[in-house]
Order: sequence, then C-alpha cells, then structure tokens
Amino acid sequence: MAKYTLKRIGYMLVVLVLLSFIMFMIYSLVPANRAYQDAKTQLTAMKNSIPKDQLSSYFDQIYLDYQRQYGTDTDNKIVRYLRWVGLAPLYDGSYNGLLQGNLGYSYEKKLPVVEVVKDPMLNTIKINILATILALGITIPLGIHCAVKRGSKLDQGVQVFTIIGYSLPTFLISILFIWIFCSKLGWFPPSGMQTPGSNFTGMRKFLDEIYYLALPLIVMTFCSLGGMTRYVRASMIEALSMDCIKTARAKGLRERAVIYSHAWRNALIPIVTLVVGWFLGIFAGSLVIEDMFALNGMGRLMIQSLRAADYDVVLLMQMFYVAISLFGNLIIDIIYGLVDPRVRVNN
Amino acid sequence: MNKDKKNASLKKGFFGTVGGWFRRLFFGGSNDLANQLNPEQAVKAGDVEEIISPGRQILNNFLEKKLAVGALITLLVMFLVMFIGPMAMPRYYDSYTEVTQKSIPPTMDMLSVPGKLKKEGIKMIDSFGSFSVGLSNEGNVFVWGATEIGTTGIDVADIPQEVQDSNIIMVAAGIDHIVALSDAGKVLCWGNNNLGQFVTETEVLERGEPLKSTIAYMPEVLVTSGIDVSRVKKLIAGYQASAILLDDGTLYLWGNKNAYANMDVFLAMGNVYDLDFTLNHIVGVNGKRNTVYTGSRGLYDVVRPNLNEPGVPIKNYIGKRKIESIVATNTSMALLLNDGSVCFTGDFTDRMEPLPMLQNGEKFVQLVGGSYHYSGLTDQGNVYSWGSNQLNQLEVPSLKNVSNIYSGSFQTYATDAEGDLVGKWGLKGYIFGTDIRGADIFQRIINGGRMTMTVGAVAVIISSIIGIIIGCVSGYFGGKVDILLMRVAEIFSAIPFLPFAMILSAVMSHMTISENGRIFIIMCILGVLTWPGLARLVRGQVLVARESEYVTAAKAMGVKESTIAFKHILPNVMSVILVTLMLDFGTCMLTESQLSYLGFGVAYPRPTWGNMLNGVNNATIINTYWWQWLFTALFLAITTICINIVGDALRDVMDPKSSVEK
Repeated sequence: MAKYTLKRIGYMLVVLVLLSFIMFMIYSLVPANRAYQDAKTQLTAMKNSIPKDQLSSYFDQIYLDYQRQYGTDTDNKIVRYLRWVGLAPLYDGSYNGLLQGNLGYSYEKKLPVVEVVKDPMLNTIKINILATILALGITIPLGIHCAVKRGSKLDQGVQVFTIIGYSLPTFLISILFIWIFCSKLGWFPPSGMQTPGSNFTGMRKFLDEIYYLALPLIVMTFCSLGGMTRYVRASMIEALSMDCIKTARAKGLRERAVIYSHAWRNALIPIVTLVVGWFLGIFAGSLVIEDMFALNGMGRLMIQSLRAADYDVVLLMQMFYVAISLFGNLIIDIIYGLVDPRVRVNN
Repeated sequence: MNKDKKNASLKKGFFGTVGGWFRRLFFGGSNDLANQLNPEQAVKAGDVEEIISPGRQILNNFLEKKLAVGALITLLVMFLVMFIGPMAMPRYYDSYTEVTQKSIPPTMDMLSVPGKLKKEGIKMIDSFGSFSVGLSNEGNVFVWGATEIGTTGIDVADIPQEVQDSNIIMVAAGIDHIVALSDAGKVLCWGNNNLGQFVTETEVLERGEPLKSTIAYMPEVLVTSGIDVSRVKKLIAGYQASAILLDDGTLYLWGNKNAYANMDVFLAMGNVYDLDFTLNHIVGVNGKRNTVYTGSRGLYDVVRPNLNEPGVPIKNYIGKRKIESIVATNTSMALLLNDGSVCFTGDFTDRMEPLPMLQNGEKFVQLVGGSYHYSGLTDQGNVYSWGSNQLNQLEVPSLKNVSNIYSGSFQTYATDAEGDLVGKWGLKGYIFGTDIRGADIFQRIINGGRMTMTVGAVAVIISSIIGIIIGCVSGYFGGKVDILLMRVAEIFSAIPFLPFAMILSAVMSHMTISENGRIFIIMCILGVLTWPGLARLVRGQVLVARESEYVTAAKAMGVKESTIAFKHILPNVMSVILVTLMLDFGTCMLTESQLSYLGFGVAYPRPTWGNMLNGVNNATIINTYWWQWLFTALFLAITTICINIVGDALRDVMDPKSSVEK
C-alpha cells in the first residue's frame, strides 16, 4: 500500500510540474510587461528631478533594473519559468520563486498575492463546507429512498426533478432563485456577505452571516442535488442487486438492516470517491455563484483579476485549482487502493 | 431464376443496400433474408420465426417512454426553428441597436388602435418611442403600446383626470411624456417629469428646489392663462422636449436641454416657420424658408433628391422654391417644397430603401416621418413609405380613400376624410420584448440559438474525434500505449475546466484574432477539455469487445489490426458512444453559456444564449426587466433538459439490464 501511495504521489508531482509549465507558457502569451509599466511610472514621478537629455538613458537603466528584479531580463521562456519556480537564479544570483515562498504580487491591489488570496480562500472554504454538509444531508437519504422504492411516484418525481436540476446552468438557477426569493418573496438579501455598515459581534454576527449566506447555499445545494441524487440512487440500485443482498433477505434479516448495513456499505465505495471529487470540484463550481451574489470568495477574485488583467493572482489561483484537483485525484486513488486490492496489484 | 435474382440485387444499387441494412436493423433480418432466398414463394406469416432485431427493440422501448418521445420532438422542433428561423429574418443583423426602443416589455399592442378611438373618429396620432397617443374627433385622448416608462413606475396610459375632462384639440408624444393642448389654450402634460420634461419655474420654486441650467422650463403662460388656440400651427414633442409653434412665428419650447444641445438657440429665436425634432437636434425653418436651421453652421447644408442619390448644396437645389414643411426622423429629415417635390438631408444608411418613382405629375400633399421611415400621401391618393424597413415600417397594404396619414415611431396610420382608419402598418411590437440596447429579444434568441448549438456541436465533434481515436487505440492495443494515453487523459481531466477556459479566453482577448477565429478557438477549448471522459468510455467498451469471438475470428483470418479496431469493434460500441455524445452536447452547450455569461466566451454583438444573459446579475434587473432573461433562460433550459431526457432514455433502453426489474 505504501509503495502504491508513494507511486501515486510521485506521479501527481510530475503532473503538477507539467501543468504548471503549461500554465506558465499560456500566461506568458499575455502581452503584459510589468517591468516596463513600473519603469514608466517611476520615470513620470522623477521627471522634474532629472535633466531632460538624460531621461531616455535613465529610463533604460531603471527598466533594466526592474527587468532584473522581476526576472524578465531574458527572452528565454524556460529560464523565466525556472526563475518563477525558484530553480534558476535571478540576475544577482539570488533565488526568488515559488519554492522560496514568493507566490507573486498583485499588480492591481499592490499587495503580495498571498495577502490578496487569504480572505477569499477562507470564505470559499467555509461556504463550500457548509454546502457539502447540506448537499450530502439531503442527497444521500433521498438517493437511498429512491433506490429502495424504485419506480414509485416519489422516485419518478425525483427523477424528473433531478434531470431539471442538472440540466440547468448554475447562473440560471441563481437568477431564478434571486427572482423568486429576493424579488418576489423578499425572504433573503440579494447579494453581499453582511448587512452593510453593521458592526455586529458574536451570535448576532453569525446570524447575520447565515442570513446573507442562506440563498447562495440553497442555490449551491440545489445545483448539486441533481447529479448527486442520481449517482447515489444508481450505485444503491447496483448494490441492491448483488447476491449478498438476496442472501441477507433469505436469512430473514429486517429490511432496514439489509438496506443500511449490507447494501449501503457496498454502495458507499463509488459514493465516497464521488464526494471527494465533488467537494474539490465545487471550488471551481462556486465561481459563478460567488460572482452572482457578490460573495468575497476565490471565484469572484479570479473573475475580477481576469477582468483587471491581474495575471499574477490568476496564475496562482489557477495553480491552486490544479493542485486541489490533483490532490482530489490522489485521495480518490488511495481510497480505491484501500478498498479494492485489485487496483494496487495492477499498478 | 438465378439470373433474375442477380438482376434484382443489381437494380437495388447503393441506396437499396443501405436501405436494406436499416430495414434489417428495425424490422428484423430473418423475414427479409427469407424473402430474398425464395422470392417466388410468398412467405406466410408464422413461416419464419419472428426475431426482433436489437435496433427494433431499442426503438420499441424508446417509444414506450412518452416523456422521452416528447422531449425528442421538442428538441427536433427547437433545432429546426434555430436553423431555419434566421432565414425568415432577412433584416436581422447582430449589432442592431435602437435607443428609443430600449427595454420594452413583451407587447404586440403597438399597432392596435383602441376601438373607441376608431369609433369616435381619428383626429391625430403621434408617437416618438414605444407608445402612441391618439386624439379622437370628440376630443378624447387614447394611449396604446408599451406605456410603462422603464424603472420609473410611471404609466403614460394613466391619463390625468384634467385631460379626460377637457376637450383636447392637439396631442404629441415624446420618448417618455405626452403633451396635450386643450381648447382653452392650456397645455397639459403627463408622463416622466424627472428630467425637466415639463416643469415650470414656479413649480420648482414652490417646492423649494434650485433652478437648473440644464432645463428649459415650461413657459408659465401655457399653464396659467393659456394661448389662443386658433393661432397654434403645430404641437410637437421630441426626445424629452416639446414645442408649440404659432402661425406668427412665435415658438414656445421647453424640456431637457441635455437631450437637445441646440435648444438655447431656438429659445432665443423668433420668426420660426416650421420646426421638428430629430433624435439629437432641433431643426427649424425660418421665415426665409430656404435653409434648414440648426444653430450650427453647415450641419444640413447638403440635400439629396432621394436617399440613394448624391448630395447637392441646398442653395443650388432649392433655388427660388420655398420649403413648405420639414419632417424629421431620428437621423435625417425630409423637406417638402412648395412645388410638391421632396428632398432629404441628414444621415442615411445603406439599409434604407429609397423613395419610389412617382407617376408623372404626381405630387406629395402630406409627408410624415417616423423614427427611421417616411410616409407620404400624394394628390392621387397613393401612399408610399420609404426609409428603413428594419421593423416592417414599409409594408404598405393596399389602401383606398386615404385623406390623412399619421406616423408613429415605427408605424403609419391612414384615415379617410371622416377620420375612419383605413389602414395601418409597421411595427406591431416585440413578442419577447427588447433588450437593454433596444434589439428584439425574439430575433436574438433564434439567432443566438443557432450560435449556441453550433458551438456545442462543433465542440462535441472535436472532442469525439479525439476521444474515439484515443479510446480505440488505447483499448485495442493496450500495454505501454494504453498507459501513456490514459496518463495524458488524466492530465487533461485534472485541469479544472471553468477557470482554465476562462484564462485561455482572457489570454486570447489580448491577441489580434478575428471574432470568428475566437469563436472557433472557444469551440476547440471546449472540445479539447472534454475528450478524456469519452476516451475512457470507448476504451472500456473496446476492452470488452476485444475478447469477443468475432474479433478472434477476424484475427485468425489475418485482418489488419487497425481494420479490426476501427471497422469491427468501433461499430459495435457505437450505440454507447452516441448516447455519450448526446449528453456531452448538452454539457458543452451549458459550458459555453456559462462562459459567455461570465463574459469569457462569445462576445457581444454576436448573440448566444449565454451572453444574452450577461447583464442580468442583480436583483433590480432580474425583477424589473424579467423578460430580458426569462425567455432566453427558458429556451436554454428546455433545450438542455430535453437533451438530457432523451440521452438518459436512450442509455436506459440500450442497456438490456436496466429494463429488467430488480
């Protein structure tokens, strides 16, 4: 098992490096030149203190300085990539890249990327954990019930309902829910994370937050209902058709015991992998919802940064999404390995 | 006998053979084969064992699912509408905008003259924007069309009591207000007054607010003592301004100066012979009646005898003739001269149709102008419309006994001498309303649907080509090739889809690529990022098929490996692939709309169902302008739901296990 896990981790690292290289290359296609911008700004600021005939040579000097500082004084993209990762030295021989903890600088907000990303990331993780709990709390019982009572009125209703749920894009469901619950019924605030200008503390603050997060959470839960319920139902049906279930029934076990301790355990294997993948997937999926409800999360930050062409932030967040998705795959692989010995042997 | 059979099979030719395949697929091969073997012996029922072919079985099972059949029919109708529909809209173009038709709710009432007005006899009709105002011979005012003004909550169809009580003799409609003149000489206005459309200085001072330099206040005399109605020559309303012209050349002018920059010039001007409003300028004719006066030199100094003819300086063209009246549309104006001829000045587009040739000696007696079209009545009783036909303004029906014509913004009405309506043509309204730029949402949905479906389809084709080839190769050859290809697939599926597509699209926007190129690249991005799922599926199916007897047989016969993979195995896994393609098509459409909605997909002006919802992201717009998202959303939702229902049903009926109740 240990060998298998190590192998998977090694493989994951290779893919991560590969993808980071692809990302960096795509990113370097953008005709943004930070050194040039900074040099221009400094030149404008210093305009009056330098004689006119020296302006051009002064500009060349500071431009070069900035280029050396940012590691863009070469046209060799491989070298630039290595510098960004922190494996090749800058002009002055120092290393300053991802490996040294330099994750980039937000040109738009004049802050290190870590500072910019910190709050939104915490928010996103909070929202996503809440959404996961809600979604699992509803989909699993519903999926089991539908599988057990297959073909019943409720099952058919849920089937139609879930098809609608996963056929609609997230933004459409958001629009629909805002219309119904904010505009028509007035139950929830349409956007934001807390009452503007409020300075609540303790319980009051928590309640205020819940009040504002309620609708986005409902939307997120609703969006996941479709796919998840169908999946749980399908694997439960698969499990219920196994021979061991027939045996259990033949032994005269209570139906409840048959379903929950025999069938459910067997159905759990694919579901667990799905849940892990899905939890990681909603980091990207909440992008639209955060934008829609003006929640200060990763997705919104990414969209804003993309619109403002703040590519250091975008690049780091992209790497974060990639890392998280690879990490998810790793966990799924390990779970598979734990559960199903054949996977380990084959590899 | 043998010879006959040979001839028969030769005659069948290519189509016969292919038809035979399909016949066997759906009606079973045994009957068919038996018929071929013994053509002279008619096969009796029961002679040959009835075997239902897999295709027939699938079809039967599918037809049993009423919901799925309904979804399939809906889907086919949707496809037909999206691909044939645009041909029925020859005048549609993507970048069409119209400032006076912004955010109009769904209505088809723009041409429906109220019955009571028809009964009382039409005295006059006017409109500038989305609603029309009519005056009956008995002095009653009627309003129809899209009468609610934007988000203000004002409805111009709520005619004030004072107006209903007075005997009105003239009306005019602006973009969001209505002006009426009563027989007592008083001017009554209603509608939106937020930008100084009709406010007097006393009113402002009474409210204790400061006077603004951007508003031309309504002359007090119009609301207090009134004016001598017998001397009123013309009552006109423009974008957010109104004017009354007396026959001695006195002009009363009031409204929002921001709408008309040259209003100050006219406020100081006397001796006005005629006046009208375009969208941005007030245009007048002074006592000399030989030029168009705007206050700025040389703006309308060149006239054209017809819309498509070159311009000549106005002085040379008019010569000794005099301008009888001036009729302005939004961007241009027509001058009716005292010899009955017409000339034009202003901006004209290629899309405008020129004035038709008149018969010898035929002269215009009345000329009216809408927003982009003109209508004229001649001394022989003929009515012509020309100018822009974008919203069907020029579809003149056959008319008799016309003695008066009136023009709305995109409509024309013709009446006889008693004021009975004899004909009306032009814009009826918008079945799904208009968007924030004034374009017809229905037309954009149809054209956008084609775009959305094309993007989805091409993306699926790209993904399926990659997926099928890689899946087949990987599954059939196995070993190192398999491991390598599956690792590549894993890398692709590890890329988080939406962020990656967004970053690629954003990077592309910095490059100089044509719009078509951009759209094609978006299709490629979608296709390239979705193939791994299909490749895995195909690989799995091929792995199973590889072990089956017919492949072993083919191998034993020495058939080439690639032929076995693509010719023997692939057709057998085709049904599963088709279902996945169908579902993938739905997914690609959704992803495209998601991307376009966020502004990283297909960009305006080209419509797709995603980018048509682009501006809809706050509660106010969602609630007030509900028609701007609801219909588009419905089309998108119905299409994707139908795709998924059909795909699911197909998967169920193709899987024999699923039909057995467990």
